[in-house]
Amino acid sequence: MSVFLLILFGFLAGILGGMGMGGGTLLVPLLSFLDLPQKTIQAINLISFLPMCAVALIFHAKNKLICTRHIGWLVVPAIVMAVTGALCADGADNKILRVCFALFLIGVGVWQLAVAVKACVASRRNKRLPVLADEQSDARDITRTK
Amino acid sequence: MYLSAKNKWLIVILSAAAGFVNGFLGGGGGIVIVSVLLAVMRLDQKKAQATALLVILPLTAVSAAVYLINGNVDWVPTLWASLGVTAGGALGALLLSKLKSNVAKLIFAVVLIAGGIKMFF
Repeated sequence: MSVFLLILFGFLAGILGGMGMGGGTLLVPLLSFLDLPQKTIQAINLISFLPMCAVALIFHAKNKLICTRHIGWLVVPAIVMAVTGALCADGADNKILRVCFALFLIGVGVWQLAVAVKACVASRRNKRLPVLADEQSDARDITRTK
Repeated sequence: MYLSAKNKWLIVILSAAAGFVNGFLGGGGGIVIVSVLLAVMRLDQKKAQATALLVILPLTAVSAAVYLINGNVDWVPTLWASLGVTAGGALGALLLSKLKSNVAKLIFAVVLIAGGIKMFF
């Protein structure tokens, strides 16, 4: 198994993970290029996320990007169901887990694509608005001078 | 920030779903958490992405503990990948305040779809 590929795949996924964009969703398909069972890949993803997350949180805390208010409403149910999910994964077949992950990735990818395209269109429209306003004001000036 | 009872229930249900996905698939819960922070708790994009890491950290720790107890951890590849992920994570955290999020999202979405299709083969 290539140590270089493990570090490279980890580095690429880490960049997304550090930005809070879901690095795990990238590391799992990248690691599937290597000959590893799906449960091992998932365990690598979970464990490698821990030190990266701690480092990224230090940077985000310094930049005052962390909001802790009402966070208990998210953390408590998520922890309970995370344990349930991990226990279910242990009983599941590697092939089933792989197909589930693939479907999850495609679903999230299509959803994120729709969100990103919508945001791009909205930001382009906002940029055009001042131009339109200027054009309208020019038109008004012309009518006044006439 | 005020949270209505309806929103609290919505947060509990969606966070529980994110937790299950993260434990069952070994990742992916962060995307759901970011969406909850954006849509229900009305945080801005960068704060939502950063705060999601704080939510994901404890649930990833407990999921990892279950995988460890069940003997699904292979330490050699895990340590090498962790080295890369941690270095990349530091760079990603620095980039978050500098990157145009729409462009990053577009690239990310295409990569996800390609990754999902690849996993079928």
